[in-house]
Amino acid sequence: MLDDGRLYRFLRRFADIRPAEARSALYLFLYFFLVTFSFYIIKAVKENFIISVNSSLWSYADLITAVLIGFVVALNARLLNRLPRRTYTSRTLLFFISNLIFFWFVFWLYSRRTFPWGSLLALAQDSRIHLGTVFAFSFWSDLFIAMSVTQFWIAVNDVFKLHQAKRMVGFLVTGGLLGGIAGSLLTLRLVRLINPVNLILVCPAALLLMLAVVNLLHDERERTGDAAKSDPTWAAGSGIGYLESFRTVRGNRYLRILAGVLASSMVIGQLIKYQFNFIVKQVYPTQEERTAFLAFFFLAILVVSTVFHLFTTGQLLKRFGIRLTLLLAPVVILVISLAVFVIPAAALMGLMAWAYGIRGSDRAFDTTVGQSVRELLYIPIADEIKYKAKIFIDMFVSKLGTGLGAALYLISYHALSFYSYEERAPGIPIQRLGVLVVVFALIWIGLIWIIYAEYLGAVKKDLEEKWPNPDKLIKAHVDMDSTLLLFELLQSRQKSSTLYAMNLFRLKQMEKLTPEVMEVLAFKEDELKALSMDSLLDVGGEVFYPGVEEAMTADDFEVMIREIVALPPYKLLMEKHLGGVGGAKTETEVARMEAARLTGLMEPTPGVLQSLGRLLRDPSPDVLNYALDSAAVHLQKDHIPLIVPLLGNPMTRQAAQCALAAFGPRVMDTLRKHLQDPGERPDVRQAIPEVLTRFGNQKAADILVAELCLREPELEEALVQALREIRLEFPDVLFREQKILEVILSLIRTNYAAILSAPAGPAGEGGGQALPQGKAAVDLRTKRIFDLLTLIHPPDDIVKAYQNILQGTKKSVDSSLELLDNILDRAIKTYLFPLIEDLPPAEREHRLKKLAKGLGVVSS
Amino acid sequence: MDIRTRDLNKIVVFDISGDLSRPSGVSLHQAVKSQHERGMRNIILNFAEVGFVDSFGVGEILASYISTQHLGGKIKLCRISKKLYLVFQVTGLIKILEIFEDCESALQSFEAL
Repeated sequence: MLDDGRLYRFLRRFADIRPAEARSALYLFLYFFLVTFSFYIIKAVKENFIISVNSSLWSYADLITAVLIGFVVALNARLLNRLPRRTYTSRTLLFFISNLIFFWFVFWLYSRRTFPWGSLLALAQDSRIHLGTVFAFSFWSDLFIAMSVTQFWIAVNDVFKLHQAKRMVGFLVTGGLLGGIAGSLLTLRLVRLINPVNLILVCPAALLLMLAVVNLLHDERERTGDAAKSDPTWAAGSGIGYLESFRTVRGNRYLRILAGVLASSMVIGQLIKYQFNFIVKQVYPTQEERTAFLAFFFLAILVVSTVFHLFTTGQLLKRFGIRLTLLLAPVVILVISLAVFVIPAAALMGLMAWAYGIRGSDRAFDTTVGQSVRELLYIPIADEIKYKAKIFIDMFVSKLGTGLGAALYLISYHALSFYSYEERAPGIPIQRLGVLVVVFALIWIGLIWIIYAEYLGAVKKDLEEKWPNPDKLIKAHVDMDSTLLLFELLQSRQKSSTLYAMNLFRLKQMEKLTPEVMEVLAFKEDELKALSMDSLLDVGGEVFYPGVEEAMTADDFEVMIREIVALPPYKLLMEKHLGGVGGAKTETEVARMEAARLTGLMEPTPGVLQSLGRLLRDPSPDVLNYALDSAAVHLQKDHIPLIVPLLGNPMTRQAAQCALAAFGPRVMDTLRKHLQDPGERPDVRQAIPEVLTRFGNQKAADILVAELCLREPELEEALVQALREIRLEFPDVLFREQKILEVILSLIRTNYAAILSAPAGPAGEGGGQALPQGKAAVDLRTKRIFDLLTLIHPPDDIVKAYQNILQGTKKSVDSSLELLDNILDRAIKTYLFPLIEDLPPAEREHRLKKLAKGLGVVSS
Repeated sequence: MDIRTRDLNKIVVFDISGDLSRPSGVSLHQAVKSQHERGMRNIILNFAEVGFVDSFGVGEILASYISTQHLGGKIKLCRISKKLYLVFQVTGLIKILEIFEDCESALQSFEAL
């Protein structure tokens, strides 16, 4: 046996696997190979036996299966839930081996002329006993394949998580296809040498090999510490069985629809089978010819399926996603079914070609894309209900579908007199059955449409928010305006009592003097000097206890200030005072700050506005901040050119942004000009996006996106942040998807170039374990990519996917990737996934190199 | 204002001295973003030697909190004065910011994650 490394390198040529998965993947491949190898031998023999009986009896075999399978499902559910996996699988395999030997013996006796025990020979050769044995064998083979395939997929669910399974499913199904091909080839080779009955004896040998492989798989899981995961945690005697499985499915909408999808496909498959059997019976009258033809037919189907599967299933899933891949089968079958109505009813050759085509398509799709995607639909279901549901749906519901198909056939056979047309015009019963196929194909298509929406919902359930949105948190708990004003108030107390009083008034004017703030502030009625309030605000302990000073109510205070400021003499006096306050040489900084604040309280007379304009050119940042605050009150267009440059100063940026935002959307054109001007200072341009965010309208978003597309690195962060905020605050705003996708691809391209050109070396070097050079930049760009993705996809989905990729459990990381796989644009996910999946560095580099050319990145 | 940084495992401690107000040099948020560019996401702000915080300083603290949180990191404060704590309480900032009496506790809270 190859060591793990060599095994991984070998299997990597055929499948998208990871090093730790190699051995399990190989065992599961062999497991499925042996399941289908055995089945395709049994199948040809069984189909031959069934076709050889009267066509009116065909559906009884399927009906018996449909009726009895329920009891077996119940027993199987109990065994699965009570026994350890290894024991369960091993014992069922030994049971099947013993059954095969029994059936061989009975069929062999039927074909004998003599036997030492004459009574036994007579019994076996009784026609009714023989018919019963044929039906029993048919039931048994249906049971065998249903249980074996279910057990196999349960093993896959145990070993792999959702996104792992999606990568592996193509490889595993290939194992099944190759097994079927091998079984069919062997049948074709041996049937004329050893006759159909003796073919049955090949299967026990294959099942013994399967037993060995299953045990190796369990050994591997124990070795990797994974074995405990899947064994049932339900206590013995918890009553879980068929009824529980049934209730589980009945109580879950997703599972009910999934059951409907499977049942529809089974009904159609059954009806198509009867259409096919009509033709085969006419064309191949003897047992050997018929068995040989059936083996050849199934072999041909498998070869076509394998080729289709190897080159197409994975690609279909990757390119078109789950829904379109699921729809392929019913749509193709619908089209072919409609074609039968144009073939003359007596044209045997034409009908033969048609029958091969439709049965071949049905089987090919079912064993490739249909099976793969149906199994994927199970994976997002919670573990505690998955296994209960799977047994019920895979075994009972599939057989219910088969039974329904059989019942419809039986009713049609007698009601529409198929026996009259069987030999002279086999096209008539085929066309009549075709009507039913068309109806069920349409039902199938409808159910697929519904389940896809439910599938995404199931995937999203695994994704929890890992950390809250900080902007939303701040908004919910903090009133920023009053917080900043309160800090300004406290600061101004140290500078000037006048300034302090004006700030207090401003706080009240803006209705931010909340009860909580008022509790800690108290004033003397006859003094507006903050000095008397020093003790109130000096935290030594006693000052926050009310009642120390006689307090004036805030309303009284506001009224008094308004009355004073409205007095004409006061206005004249203040205008004269403001006219004199002009430059740093004439007045102190504090006086200019007071003046700047005062202008915001006064009416906007020409004198006041002129003074404000002078103050907006002041060299002191403290003065400028007050002036900007006042400018936000008066909103004079002439002041805009004075405010914009102040965006470039970190000490005045915030106030300048607030002032410009206060002007409203009419200032957007001005801001756009400055943003788009390459000659404008970079720090001014960087501050503009946040102002546009506050308008939150379509025009603001368009301006930002247009600028983002110019790909100027120094503006990128501010633009992306602003766009993200608009998206979250104003969900009605739309973003041009194509432009956003171009920018995202550009960021991905930059990351590819950064990673491929980075020097090799161990990660985590340097003080404080900072990330290797370049990796931190890659991570920041990846964050930016996800921020941009929120613009064109549901933000909640993208945010949760990002958070879970960074900090989620293995399962939620997998669900995140699955969700992104289903919602992202094909080009984006192709190039993005190698950046975000958890890959060994060498593997990541390998994948990036492969894809770099498509992105236009030159890799070294 | 002066900011000195020191790395402790995957955590950066900012020892801030002076007034957290309008700066003449690098601002607090710029310093935090520089750490983000190094890949550091867990930050402690040590206020032991901070004298005064004005509205600009509060804005810087919150901007640092927002940008760190968006990257999945955490920013925590330690050794803030009683005066400042009471103002944070009145304004509701303690519902947003994790504040510790001493920096050891802040460090341990990161290790507990």
